[in-house]
Amino acid sequence: MRDNERSAEFVTFTSNHRSDLVRTAALLCAGDEAFAEDVVQATLTRLYLSWSRVRRAASQLAYARTTLTHVFFDEMRRAHRRRETVVADHAPDGVTENDDIELRDVVLAALATLGPRQRAVVVLRHWHDLDVAETARILQCSTGTVKSQNARALAHLRDVLGALDDPIDLEVPR
Amino acid sequence: MTHDHDVKQVLLLAAEADRPDPEPLADLVRARAAASARFRRRLRFCLAGTAVATVLGVASATLLTDSAGPPQAAESAQVQLVAEPFDASPYTFDLTPTGWSVQGQRPQAVTIAPDDGSTSSHPDDYRGKLVIMLDGHAPQGRVIDHEGRRFWLSVSSGYTTIATWTRADEPHGVVRIQFPDDAGWDEQSMVSFLASVHVGPGARPGLG
Repeated sequence: MRDNERSAEFVTFTSNHRSDLVRTAALLCAGDEAFAEDVVQATLTRLYLSWSRVRRAASQLAYARTTLTHVFFDEMRRAHRRRETVVADHAPDGVTENDDIELRDVVLAALATLGPRQRAVVVLRHWHDLDVAETARILQCSTGTVKSQNARALAHLRDVLGALDDPIDLEVPR
Repeated sequence: MTHDHDVKQVLLLAAEADRPDPEPLADLVRARAAASARFRRRLRFCLAGTAVATVLGVASATLLTDSAGPPQAAESAQVQLVAEPFDASPYTFDLTPTGWSVQGQRPQAVTIAPDDGSTSSHPDDYRGKLVIMLDGHAPQGRVIDHEGRRFWLSVSSGYTTIATWTRADEPHGVVRIQFPDDAGWDEQSMVSFLASVHVGPGARPGLG
């Protein structure tokens, strides 16, 4: 493949799908926008370096989302120290005491209290609507692990959102 | 009172935010720099061998010379820079390359294309054109000192990028120009042209 061709395809892909990747990264990073941008940039670079595989993928976006999830875990391992700081900023204990905090912040704070793996399960299962098997494949774990992590994560989100002054009953699809 | 939300609704709310619209070219420039760095790493690995590596080293050094050096102008007329300023806000230039014209002009990037019609008329199609951008990433590559400033030259397949830190009275960052190879630009003209760039306050990083 000629470099120009690869570059043109890459720019087209980025123009069309970058915002989708940023939204996913923002959820995985629990609202840490700078971290999410780092993850997206690293993802796009990784995609460019293996563009021939991206081209062969049945769905380029699905391939990119998988890569994004893997980059997220890599970056979490590398940026563990920074992540702890950010999570502290979103600690949910004080959330219900502040009437001005919007639901978005509450949800992000709740996501921040989940472990990275539980957060990824929630995002893949309920944001990207992937089934248990596909989620397990991306996370390289068993389907049983996906089910248990998902149940725990949703229970936690329900507890946090249900404890608000203006509580939210989180409906969980069966 | 309890409000009902499904999980997807809640995640949708959490994922949305006001975000700047990033410049795709910035992702491309970064990705190309990574590709170039990977190429150099692999080359160094090859050169670290013994007898076989010696043979490889000769071939690779030739390859490196071909790819790391300035574009050869043998097949294209050499670009002439004349001391005539022009404006492509938010960037201004002290030198004008003859036979080239501003095609795309945005706070994130300026595109300059050859007048010979060899490239697309679409300003977002950068192939074969110069792209001038600002970003905050440290420059990498071979160091070149020119008129008291330091420049960095890096190459990737088909393109050479020259970068330098902005001046003290300009928005802080790194200004870069990506030059297509085989378009008549040699190292001296590329560095001189970038040295003539002034970054105005309206320039915005190509990254969000």
